[in-house]
Amino acid sequence: MASILVSSSENYSGKSSICSGLGLILKERGKSVGYMKPVGNLLVDVDGVLSDEDAEQMRDLLSLETPRSCITPIMLTENLTNDALLGVEKHLDETLKQAYSEVSRDKDMVIIEGEGGIGSGAMYNLSDPQVASILDSKILLITRFDSVSAVDRILCDIELIDDRNMLSGIILNEVEEDKSGIVRDMVVPFLEKKGVKVFGVIPRDHTLGAVSIAEIVEDLRGDVLTGRQEMDKLVEHYLVGAMEINSAIKYFRRSPNNVVVTGGDRADIQMAAIEAGARALILTGNLRPSEAVLGSADEAGVVVVLVRGDTLSTIERMENLIGHARIQQKTKIETIVRLIEENVDVDSILDSAGL
Amino acid sequence: MLSRLFNPDSVAVIGASRKKGKVGNAVLSNLVKDFRGNIYPVNPGEEKIEDLTCYASILDVADDVDLAVVVVPAKVVPPMLEECGRAGVKYVVVISAGFKEAGVEGAKLERRSLEICKEYGIHMVGPNCLGIMDPVAGLNASFAASMAYEGNIAMMSQSGAICTSTLDWAEANGMGFSKFVSLGNKADLGENEFLTEFRDDPSTSVIAAYLEGIKNGAQFIEFARDVSRKKPVVLVKSGRTAAGSRAVSSHTGTLAGSDQAYNAAFDKAGVIRADTLEDMLDYIRAFSTQPIPAGRRIAILTNAGGLGILTADACYYEGLELASLSTETIEGLRKFLPGAASFYNPVDVLGDASAKLYGDALEIVLKDPNVDGVILLTSPQAMTDVASIAKVVIQKMENSDKPVLCSFVGGTRIMEGNSILVAGGVPNYTFPERAVASMGALCDYGKRRNMVYPLPKPVHSDRKTASELLDEAAAKDKKILGLESFDLLKAYGIPVVEIGKASTVEEAVEESERIGYPVVMKVLSPDISHKTDVGGIRLSLMNKDDVRRAYHTMMSDVGRYMPSARITGVQLQRMIEGGREVIIGMNRDVQFGPLLMFGLGGTYVEILKDVSFRLAPLNEKDAHSMISSIRSYPLLTGVRGEKAYDVDAVADVLVRVSRLVEDFPQVLEFEINPLMVLPEDEGCFAMDMRLTLKESN
Repeated sequence: MASILVSSSENYSGKSSICSGLGLILKERGKSVGYMKPVGNLLVDVDGVLSDEDAEQMRDLLSLETPRSCITPIMLTENLTNDALLGVEKHLDETLKQAYSEVSRDKDMVIIEGEGGIGSGAMYNLSDPQVASILDSKILLITRFDSVSAVDRILCDIELIDDRNMLSGIILNEVEEDKSGIVRDMVVPFLEKKGVKVFGVIPRDHTLGAVSIAEIVEDLRGDVLTGRQEMDKLVEHYLVGAMEINSAIKYFRRSPNNVVVTGGDRADIQMAAIEAGARALILTGNLRPSEAVLGSADEAGVVVVLVRGDTLSTIERMENLIGHARIQQKTKIETIVRLIEENVDVDSILDSAGL
Repeated sequence: MLSRLFNPDSVAVIGASRKKGKVGNAVLSNLVKDFRGNIYPVNPGEEKIEDLTCYASILDVADDVDLAVVVVPAKVVPPMLEECGRAGVKYVVVISAGFKEAGVEGAKLERRSLEICKEYGIHMVGPNCLGIMDPVAGLNASFAASMAYEGNIAMMSQSGAICTSTLDWAEANGMGFSKFVSLGNKADLGENEFLTEFRDDPSTSVIAAYLEGIKNGAQFIEFARDVSRKKPVVLVKSGRTAAGSRAVSSHTGTLAGSDQAYNAAFDKAGVIRADTLEDMLDYIRAFSTQPIPAGRRIAILTNAGGLGILTADACYYEGLELASLSTETIEGLRKFLPGAASFYNPVDVLGDASAKLYGDALEIVLKDPNVDGVILLTSPQAMTDVASIAKVVIQKMENSDKPVLCSFVGGTRIMEGNSILVAGGVPNYTFPERAVASMGALCDYGKRRNMVYPLPKPVHSDRKTASELLDEAAAKDKKILGLESFDLLKAYGIPVVEIGKASTVEEAVEESERIGYPVVMKVLSPDISHKTDVGGIRLSLMNKDDVRRAYHTMMSDVGRYMPSARITGVQLQRMIEGGREVIIGMNRDVQFGPLLMFGLGGTYVEILKDVSFRLAPLNEKDAHSMISSIRSYPLLTGVRGEKAYDVDAVADVLVRVSRLVEDFPQVLEFEINPLMVLPEDEGCFAMDMRLTLKESN
């Protein structure tokens, strides 16, 4: 049975995206693919059953019929951590193995998604290397390459893997264009010299961090005042309108297709945003904008959302939302598949996983 | 085009009402009072209003209707317009409110109304307005309290309340109108259409406007420039400050726009901008009654020394010259004025001067070829016969082609004189400064009327290279271009300093050796706009070692101050000394397009704000006037024996930048900072640049 555990140095490195992409590529090649996220950390209630958000998405995406309790046999609840701290023996390795035998039944390959960072779960003996060793999988390490210090991180992470043969290789993710030269000419050769196989270098794609206006509205629990029909549109950045009007126009139009957060009483900033092509206006402080501005927003197809929070707290939420977006939209999944096909040596990954 | 709007043969009032206090009643009774053509009230619930047969629908009116005034609730306006269209009506005034100013539903109704108008070829005033008036044609299609006096001023206003106030003020001050338009939401007809209409209207000699925004900036400049050659356009544009522009946005759902751009636009269009409503009313009073002076040389005639001095000061601040009276004038005055009088400008006829003395003095001063206009002051002193002086002024003015503005300063004792002046068509201002400001407006127009606007000379440019460069940046999703894009400047013939690029320390040394010392090193990063602030500039590097040290410390500094910045390397430039730094910038204005900026460069530019603005396209004359209009201009022409700098070369760069930003609308902002200007005949060099591109979709 071929299997690979997708691990990462930190949260938000793109593990879920790569699991989805790999899964779809395998399916397209006619393979039957299984998926497992041993420890669920993004808990959701699905018809009264506790599940993991990533697991739910993958279940849909790959049309898996495996029971939820096998895809995510262990949930990261308070009980789990308390018992771990108190030293209660729960035989989680057995639970894991049983679930895995269910997940892998009739499958050519199983993709196992790590919990958070590579060391997450060590307290209950289920860090990524420990899981890989229990299930006899190879590890594929994903690292966001934000600066040269990513190299330190990679070498350090690899130290955590006892048996170096267990490391299949790594993928450098979200590489900015200006760093691609250094990565290609220096970082990759350096890592390969150290015996670390680099399967691919994926450039940063801003569209992947985008969220739909509907998601923002839901997250902020906002009231939509106008533009309801435009809620599916995606936004990549948010801008804060707290400056004087002439600077605001310059600032907004440099990057249109954004969402602008400003006070409900700042009619000038609101009009500047509409004029500059913003997709949505988030108006804070529960201050309703002027009717004339609403009329203009409606004409321009701009969604206007009223929220109760002040600008600062709204920005904090937005910060969390944009860039940490979960991959749901079809267009995003297509982008991921394309990015992997173009930049990653998928065959070598499959080879090393034993497929 | 709109003559039937103001001079219809027949008018229908859709939503006419018999109930006093209703707008539909006010409009109808206003029409009935003065209109000589046919009036058709339309209201399905009535049979007769004001003795006129009432129709259930405009479609029931058998005759042709030229103009329909619509006062029904907003939601039934679209079907009414549809009926107007089917009835062949070509002009409508929609007074009803509840459109875009009232929110999303209203905005939809407004769009729908406009669609119907377009479909049937209807021209619409409003919605959400007071109505229109043409006192010459006897048309009062408004709900104003009364009809305006007949006169030669055509007025339009984006605010209905300012219409009402102006009408009331004008009535009290004996001022009359040829046309009066409340623009409302300007869904269809706006300032540009009425400007053209007023230009061709023989009964209009001055155009006044109160505006909160302009719909089509480029067209406005074109139209207003054309109109200004024939008659003066005086306007107030509100929403100049942060607070004001917020109020405009909130009130109209439009962007107020930058005031610098509006100033530049009005300059370009030859329009007289009044700062306040009071200024506008003052100016149009002068324009509607007085001839335009040939120059700015003003004589002051007074019976009080103090008023004369105040006026002389005010003339200086307004940029008016005090005329040097000719010997003949001075001798002539000496013949009949008492010896204690002042025979020079200001001419003081003394406190006890009779009306005859005033009149004789005015006559002589008006004849003086050195005098372009007269400001006549009167203080009601013990012996002063204010009423007679007013009469004699009117009489003397009749034979003169020079403007006379009066300021009879006082209260109750000047009232009668004021009424006589007003009735006789001579503007009288409560205080001298207001008369001076109005004289200033007359003089400004005299100059603007004859202004020639030469087209910019063609710029030889390699547009293809520039275009490829910008397309390439867009393809890479680059939004900000810096030093690395000097080729763009070169393509437009803008001289740039000798430069080299390096992404490693050894390349930096190599490039420095090639360029020749001393060199300047600057960090290359799309994320850094103020390089000095993050340690991204090193000056006066004299040798290889300097370059190496500079490189290493710069990388460390920038990494510390801006860890997130993307750094693509460094640029090396030949260091140029002995020049002056200036800045040339461009920001694309929402209404008017590229707004160019010029100022002295250096660290203090943002504090001093000594900059000038013009709208593209710039010709050489514009460029020179832009340069010479900053306060620190003398620093470029040479102070205290310094050499003059090459201002012609700067003007040439300005014209080229204007061409560049006009050729590429995707360029949102552009800046050459600094442009190093060398002494006369030695030219100038761009040392750094920054350009922001619009996101390509």
